[in-house]
Amino acid sequence: MTMTNRVIEEFKAEFKSVDITEAPYEKQGYHLSIEARTGNLLNIIDFLDKREFYIVDLFCVDYQDYLELVYFFNTHRELCRIKVTLKLDPVKPVAPTISNIYTIARWYEREVHEFFGVYFEGHPNLTYLFLHEEIGHYPLRKQHVPVPDGDKKLLNSFRPHEEENSFFINLGPQHPSTHGVLRVVLKMDGEYLISAEPVLGYLHRMHEKMAENKSYMQFLPNPARMDYPGALLFNLAYVEAVEKLCGIEVPERAKYIRTITCELNRIASHLLWLGAFPADLGALTPFMYAFDDRENILDILEDVTGSRLTYCYFRFGGLYNDINEETFIDATKRFIERMRERLVMYDKLITGNVIFINRVKNIGILEQGQAKKYGFSGPVIRSTGIPFDMRKVEPYAAYGSIDFEIPTGHIGDNMDRYMVRMKEIEISLNIIEEGIKRLPSGPFKTEKVPKKLKPPKGDIYNAVESTRGETGVYIVSDESDTPYRMRWRVPSYSNLMTFPHLSRGVLIADAIATLGSYDIVVPEIDR
Amino acid sequence: MGKRSFYLETKDPIIKFAVLDKILDLARANSLWPITFGLACCAIEMMCASMARFDIARFGAEVFRPSPRQADLMIVSGTVTKKMAPILVTLYEQMPSPKWVIAMGNCAISGGPFVFEGQYNLVEGVDLLVPVDIYVPGCPPRPESLLEGLMKLEEKITGTRRFPVPEPKW
Repeated sequence: MTMTNRVIEEFKAEFKSVDITEAPYEKQGYHLSIEARTGNLLNIIDFLDKREFYIVDLFCVDYQDYLELVYFFNTHRELCRIKVTLKLDPVKPVAPTISNIYTIARWYEREVHEFFGVYFEGHPNLTYLFLHEEIGHYPLRKQHVPVPDGDKKLLNSFRPHEEENSFFINLGPQHPSTHGVLRVVLKMDGEYLISAEPVLGYLHRMHEKMAENKSYMQFLPNPARMDYPGALLFNLAYVEAVEKLCGIEVPERAKYIRTITCELNRIASHLLWLGAFPADLGALTPFMYAFDDRENILDILEDVTGSRLTYCYFRFGGLYNDINEETFIDATKRFIERMRERLVMYDKLITGNVIFINRVKNIGILEQGQAKKYGFSGPVIRSTGIPFDMRKVEPYAAYGSIDFEIPTGHIGDNMDRYMVRMKEIEISLNIIEEGIKRLPSGPFKTEKVPKKLKPPKGDIYNAVESTRGETGVYIVSDESDTPYRMRWRVPSYSNLMTFPHLSRGVLIADAIATLGSYDIVVPEIDR
Repeated sequence: MGKRSFYLETKDPIIKFAVLDKILDLARANSLWPITFGLACCAIEMMCASMARFDIARFGAEVFRPSPRQADLMIVSGTVTKKMAPILVTLYEQMPSPKWVIAMGNCAISGGPFVFEGQYNLVEGVDLLVPVDIYVPGCPPRPESLLEGLMKLEEKITGTRRFPVPEPKW
């Protein structure tokens, strides 16, 4: 019996009056949908929590007549995506908080509050997370809804209060090791951290609002600017979602080329991290070496996509253009050969280095049990020993027909996260090699795709494994040529939010090492 | 934005030493110290420019300083949001004079691809906040473009161009 059937049976036994419906998975990307009410929401969430579901995402959709809170859940063992919805009154939207059960909801709920004006009863700290104090309305609401006067105090972001024996340090927004413009307010006792609170939104570029103003085609360059080191993977998440929504078929050749280029991009992204992580610890030499290797990949990808960084290569139903069989494959093969040699060199240079080991081993340990509370993914979850990878769990592109292993760590410390990423580079090389071997001939795009896409009414959730973890896009279509609502589930967000938990009582230098090992990209978190 | 007159207008000094000033300008132009201030995608290309392949050190600008007190060049590499704007201005004010600003990428120049009707969080061009010397277009600009921008800045400081303008290949 599959997970889905089991959940339906148990759910029907426990909640007699609540509807649980099976959704067409191929069309919508989730298996079950549950319509909750304010009274029984917490019981349903509790039910899912007991069955080891982790929280994928929490967001809101404004349908004008009502606001809909959407909770996505999934399990790490078997794919069973559940959508729980809660309808709210648009005039005075109030919902119960689930942050006591799922810790990550603390931040998701703050986000929903500032963008939609939804209040969460029992939330410990319902202040603004992203937006600037000057913005006096709820941006993602369909109509202009000003922030009520009584709530202006909430507009103030995190304001630290000094106490005896402790002081505050602002890590960022301009700090060499925050990888962009992340700000973390650290409460310190001498060299030790008492608590850490991320403050986001310094690079909030309104992607989700932009999607509601642009057509499906016009939004195509945007995902690449969300996660620029792994641009192709975000591009793929979006393109596949729209393809599923419209029912566009993709030729086999395109699928394989997508896989190969995505894996090349994954290596480039990991190399960027490989440079930045030791640099956070004070070692600048690997930075130079890693960028040297990265340039090789950029050359290959520039040849096919035309850009160095923010690729926009995939199109609905295929690719922008076909690869040049000779030059691309030759260059890729040469790169694989070179990279394998370099990996040995990196091993000698970094992995065995005593200073490096002392800085990362047994520091920043994440337990497996936290995985469902925070919903973190990617190398961060694999380092704890859970072999969770969207490429295996829910194969997309050509990953279903290529065999590869998933590297996992043991205890989930910084060293494990480092080792997992290094192994992933190796495995990506194998995938590329296998992909090139099997590359079929044929068309690289479907000809019938219309210029102006008008998908049928409905919603879809599509996830891919980007370099940092599970990247999902949720699109609501209302049959017009612009998306009604687009929501991005980004992996760095949930990965970063474990930082306050990990940084309690550690040295500030260790906290920097932990932050570096996450490989966060701030534009992705801020969107 | 725009209400604050935040930066000090650079005025001509009362006493001038023509030759000494020229020598100082030459020294400044060939040892520009940028501040480590990555904002978005363009920051990666800025990092690439400082790495082995493009090697910004050839032009004396490799000394990226995390502290604005030690820097005299700000490369605004990415989108400036309303939340980030006051911080950018503070950093600029903390830099000792003489100082220069390069607006790298379309976002820093005009808001770039993120300008649309009803946008609520974007500063449409960093020149609304601080005076900009050089604009480097692109989304993101290639490292070569940044190097060319750097050369233009050298030209602006000294009055002469050190390297010849490269011939376009096509």
